[in-house]
Amino acid sequence: MLGRALGSTAYCIIAPMFIVGIDVGGTFTDLTAVDEGTGRVVVTKVPSRPHHEADAVLTGLAALGIAPRDVRRLVHGTTVGTNAVLERRGARVAILTTAGFRDLIEIGRTKRNIPALFVPTFVRPKPVVERKHRFEVVERLAADGSVLVPLDVASVERALDAAVGAGAEAIAVCLLHAYLDPQHEHAIADAAKGRCPGVPVSCSADVVAEYREFERFSTTVLNAYLQPLMDGYLAGLEERLRATGYAHGVLTVASSGGMMTTETARRLPIKTIFSGPAGGVSQACHVGGACGVGDLITYDMGGTSTDVCLVRGLTPLATSEGSVGAFPVKVPQIDMHTVGAGGGSIAWLDVDGSLQVGPRSAGAAPGPAAYGQGGTEPTVTDANVVLGRIGSTRRLGGSIALDAARARRAVTDLAARLGGVLGVEALAEGIVRIAVARMTSAIREISIQRGHDPRDFTLVAFGGAGPMHALALAEEIGIPRVLVPRHPGNFSALGLLASDVKHDDVRTRVGPLRERWAALEAIFADMEAAARRQLALEGFGVQAQRMRRSLDLRYQGQAFELNLELDGAPLATVETAFHRHHETTYGHANPDATIELVNARLTAHGVVPKPAAERHPSASPALDDALIERRPVWFGGAPHDCPVWERERLPERAMLAGPAIVEEFGATTVVLPGWTGVVDAHGNLRLER
Amino acid sequence: MIDPITLEVIREAFVSTVREMRVTLVRTAYSSILYEGEDFSCVLMDGDAQIVAMSKGQDHPLHIVPIGWSMKAVRERFGDDIHPGDVFLHNDPYTGGTHLNDVAMLMPLFVDGRLFVFPVVRAHWGDVGGMSPGSLSGGATEIYQEGVRIPPIRIMERGRSNEAVLEVLFANMRGPRERRGDFRAMIGTCRKAAERVEALAARYGAATVRAAVAELMDRAEARMRRAIRALPDGEYRYEAHLESGRERLEPLTVRARVVVAGDTITVDLAGTSPQTAAPTNVGPAMAPTGAFTIVKSFLDPGSDVNSGAFRPLTVLTPSGTIVNADPPAPCGGMVEVKYCVESAVMGALAPALDGRVAGDLKGGGNHCYVGGPHPRTGETFIFYEYPAGGTGGFDGGDGSNTVRAWTESDMTTLQPIEAIEQLYPVRVERTSLREDSGGAGRWRGGLGLTRAVRILAPATRLSVLAEKTVLPPFGVCGGGAGATNRFWILRGVRPVQPSPLPGKVSAFPIEPDDVLMMESSGGGGFGDPLDRDPTLVAADVAEGYVTAAAAEAAYGVVLRGGGPDPDATRPLREALRRRRSRVRLTAAPDLDGPRGRAIRLDAATASALGVGAGAVVELVNPRGAPLRAWVTDVMTGEDRRAEIAPVALGMLGVAAGAEVDVRAVHSGVL
Repeated sequence: MLGRALGSTAYCIIAPMFIVGIDVGGTFTDLTAVDEGTGRVVVTKVPSRPHHEADAVLTGLAALGIAPRDVRRLVHGTTVGTNAVLERRGARVAILTTAGFRDLIEIGRTKRNIPALFVPTFVRPKPVVERKHRFEVVERLAADGSVLVPLDVASVERALDAAVGAGAEAIAVCLLHAYLDPQHEHAIADAAKGRCPGVPVSCSADVVAEYREFERFSTTVLNAYLQPLMDGYLAGLEERLRATGYAHGVLTVASSGGMMTTETARRLPIKTIFSGPAGGVSQACHVGGACGVGDLITYDMGGTSTDVCLVRGLTPLATSEGSVGAFPVKVPQIDMHTVGAGGGSIAWLDVDGSLQVGPRSAGAAPGPAAYGQGGTEPTVTDANVVLGRIGSTRRLGGSIALDAARARRAVTDLAARLGGVLGVEALAEGIVRIAVARMTSAIREISIQRGHDPRDFTLVAFGGAGPMHALALAEEIGIPRVLVPRHPGNFSALGLLASDVKHDDVRTRVGPLRERWAALEAIFADMEAAARRQLALEGFGVQAQRMRRSLDLRYQGQAFELNLELDGAPLATVETAFHRHHETTYGHANPDATIELVNARLTAHGVVPKPAAERHPSASPALDDALIERRPVWFGGAPHDCPVWERERLPERAMLAGPAIVEEFGATTVVLPGWTGVVDAHGNLRLER
Repeated sequence: MIDPITLEVIREAFVSTVREMRVTLVRTAYSSILYEGEDFSCVLMDGDAQIVAMSKGQDHPLHIVPIGWSMKAVRERFGDDIHPGDVFLHNDPYTGGTHLNDVAMLMPLFVDGRLFVFPVVRAHWGDVGGMSPGSLSGGATEIYQEGVRIPPIRIMERGRSNEAVLEVLFANMRGPRERRGDFRAMIGTCRKAAERVEALAARYGAATVRAAVAELMDRAEARMRRAIRALPDGEYRYEAHLESGRERLEPLTVRARVVVAGDTITVDLAGTSPQTAAPTNVGPAMAPTGAFTIVKSFLDPGSDVNSGAFRPLTVLTPSGTIVNADPPAPCGGMVEVKYCVESAVMGALAPALDGRVAGDLKGGGNHCYVGGPHPRTGETFIFYEYPAGGTGGFDGGDGSNTVRAWTESDMTTLQPIEAIEQLYPVRVERTSLREDSGGAGRWRGGLGLTRAVRILAPATRLSVLAEKTVLPPFGVCGGGAGATNRFWILRGVRPVQPSPLPGKVSAFPIEPDDVLMMESSGGGGFGDPLDRDPTLVAADVAEGYVTAAAAEAAYGVVLRGGGPDPDATRPLREALRRRRSRVRLTAAPDLDGPRGRAIRLDAATASALGVGAGAVVELVNPRGAPLRAWVTDVMTGEDRRAEIAPVALGMLGVAAGAEVDVRAVHSGVL
């Protein structure tokens, strides 16, 4: 107001304010910043610094020329939690559990959960909490939540003392049927505050208020395992940023695609466990919504793996069944399918002479042979270099220069080991084809699993290697439309800017839906009151709060559920909707069967203001200005003289015909012969065949 | 010759097609045993009855491998009278089925007028008729009690289904609506796969796809042959036993003679026990499946599963025996027989593998049913679990605790307590690892579990079908046996045995408030426990996997302040070694009988072991599996001597006059 009153900006230097998204990956930390005023997006990549993540973030901000005090909101996605579990670097956890069940966390459902068929030497991964750190307390609830055996305080004190004696850094409290009534768990947590102050306590009913004890306990134990580490990480990050002038809290993206405040993330770090790829899916929905594409398949191909996800009506498929390594994690998450094939996947010969691509990856070090960091085995990236699809003039990620000769040597060596049946370029094309075949399978399977035909979807390609392989993938599956959004190399970080704060809550109330229906309103009201309190604490006014109610339902006798959104409709309508949902998902319904309620779920959103849509910069209306060079690129066994375009200089409505290469910071789009592309009003590259 | 790129792309398409079949069946099946239990398998095969592709990890080897027999049965019955649009159904164990509940559907495809690659599904139908709900029963004495036998039949002829036959089938099964739904889901699954295969043929040409199949078979075959060539040629023998009898333990024996010659392996099961009027029999497909599982696992675990890998392997199954029974022997216990074949073949191959085998496994399905009227509804409820056990130790690693074994698909065997207690009138009181249940060894066997379930309703009954309830899973290379499977009732403070043979219980009456104790076996150990690193023993004690008492008794490790005490451990280990019973072996041709394995012991040895006539002992084999034998009589004299048949000396890989350790296994009295 002040600025306008003065009528001139000359007296009011309004510093640009930025919203910054940070995607802390294993290899690179991607930063994306949006200027709130203009909608301008700037991106950069800096090498990640394991255990010193805050340093990488500050380096990145400096590279963008943004002062921390000019950042209004900082959102980050991180694989810190996932890596800590996979590398077993978490805390020493003690578990307090119902007497008779201390081994439940180890026995689980007796599944191997690792590929081990025909492998007599397989070793089942041990839980992160050792047996000697598992303590039993005397108590027992019945299946209706009533108390069978009251909590024996002396047994709790003994267990807590033993946990302290064992040097526990975090405590998981896991009692049977606690999802129905957390009073015993909470009493133990209270006692822990007195007897082991400073040791974080995770209660199973607070982490996952759902039935099925093994999955709940596993999630709770992992939450405890991550708590000290994530606490230190997030506190350190905030502290470092504040010291440099940043004045706000840090938001962390959750596995569900929503965001969490630092306070929540420190209490429930397990909810960040699949946050890595979630940002990209959120952003794809954001982009899809802006340009009218509702049904899409996201295709995020990075250096070591590829994540694909099906989005229907701008809603990503969601699930609460996931796992890290061999351990179940039951938190709301985007239903992502991951394939072990990326740009760094190594091509190799099996003992029977078969040509294989992946799952072994050259990773960040040594990286593909073309990186010139000591890698000698050919990777998918090297194959693309040999084919001329990746140029060697541009630095990858802004920092790594490509050495085409090394890439060629690596592929040539493999061709020789194959007995010379294939030329170097033919082998390179083959390596790409095999990688694409693996990803084709993944996309077909996620579609079929939900009863969809992938050809009805638009493929949205991003990640460093996604746009390079997207058209080949689309051809294999028969998808006629591909969308390469702007900033595909920093897409996940960009997605962080488009996410709302989200809280998920759940109550398990197993029983016939008709019997439970009347009580549901009170259950939801209870959950909503808690969610509104939490959102208010986080600064969201009532008008920025959104509530979504849903039910997990099944036919009586089934052991798994379908989630159905509630919109205030009466019982009969809900029943009909469930039958229809079952029909689409499983191909049949059973209108005569009893519908059973399992869970009542609430998702509460705190809606954050989204950055203004960036106008597509079109410095020059002439397509020719965007031409970088022409170079030979191999397609179908022959070199084609191929234009290479600079993405940022392509004007709106520019038309491209394949074969063509479109280069930009962080990604290269390969337009195959037979495809045409157009730049839409939002700057997306829309490709069709 | 097909180029290596196209080959890989087609291979990927095959495996992906199988995975798509799986998701389609899960998505469309009507019965929960399919869409939740995933008790089914999908496969692509070809007109020569070759398995082209399975999805490794989810599909069950015991479903998949026998598929070849089903196709052969179809070819034998129909010859060239197979046409586009025909669909075949099969479950008959005597011509290559597994047990009657597993129904195979084959949908042959034709390209250019010739049989092409085509989809097959084998799915467990929840009920196929017979004497009891669910069809499987430990009490069956004839196959007619186990449900409807389906020889290879044409259920669809040129696209038209044979409704009359379907009606007869479903009229004889419980829950016909579910059965019909599952049948349709299987048809839909095969059709989807057929579309993909046809698209593949259109894209690459039928000839190229056929060439790819041939090449994939040849490569799998070449890999397997190379692995076999690395084994020393020779004839190797071993035997394993199933449990039977009412008063005394009488074994059913699977005898394996394994001949490694160049790049081939022949497994001859001659000498195996005659078929029995109980469920532990199989048709011709299951024993080869067991033999293949072992050969594959120990020689080439990493590669795809296709019939090429099978070619170097010949399995001879004499008819009229438990490994190739004739009608009307029941075949419900096929899992148990397959496990026994696996134990026998692994034991035989041990010397060829230079001892690099693993401790024995739980021996069967551990099926445990409690059923009766639900007090709330009056309807019959069935509480069914089949607890996994520990896996065996191996050279370089301990076995894993209570987990699906490497021979089986990866399925859940315990239901959530919080679900069970809502559904059934039961309360789970304990789910814990069984301390000391892992076979002792330089590498310890994995632990089994104890699950205690209080039954709160009147008029319920217990049925059990399990093995290794008397004869424990053996250790190898000097390793000790794992604990046996045990299924019993705790009535107040009094243990009650529901049956003289603990693994065969039929409808035992449970009283309200009885506690069902399910204890699963530990895996066998690997190597001499006295050679185990004492710090590993100390760690096991700290974790509570091994008690301090067992650390001393089985491992000779004395602990002090949580760590091993070397000064006390050394003399104890020496003393334990000295205390072992060692016998000199003599050949006695008269002891070579058709059932079990007979041994005579001198009186001093028998007394040291505390065994008499009828007891079971085992002769330790430092380079393989121990040989189990039934004491026929105790000889006078104290000359530390044992007599066994000459062939048994061969199984141990020793000559007459050799000295071996002998241990007691079981009194032989049930």
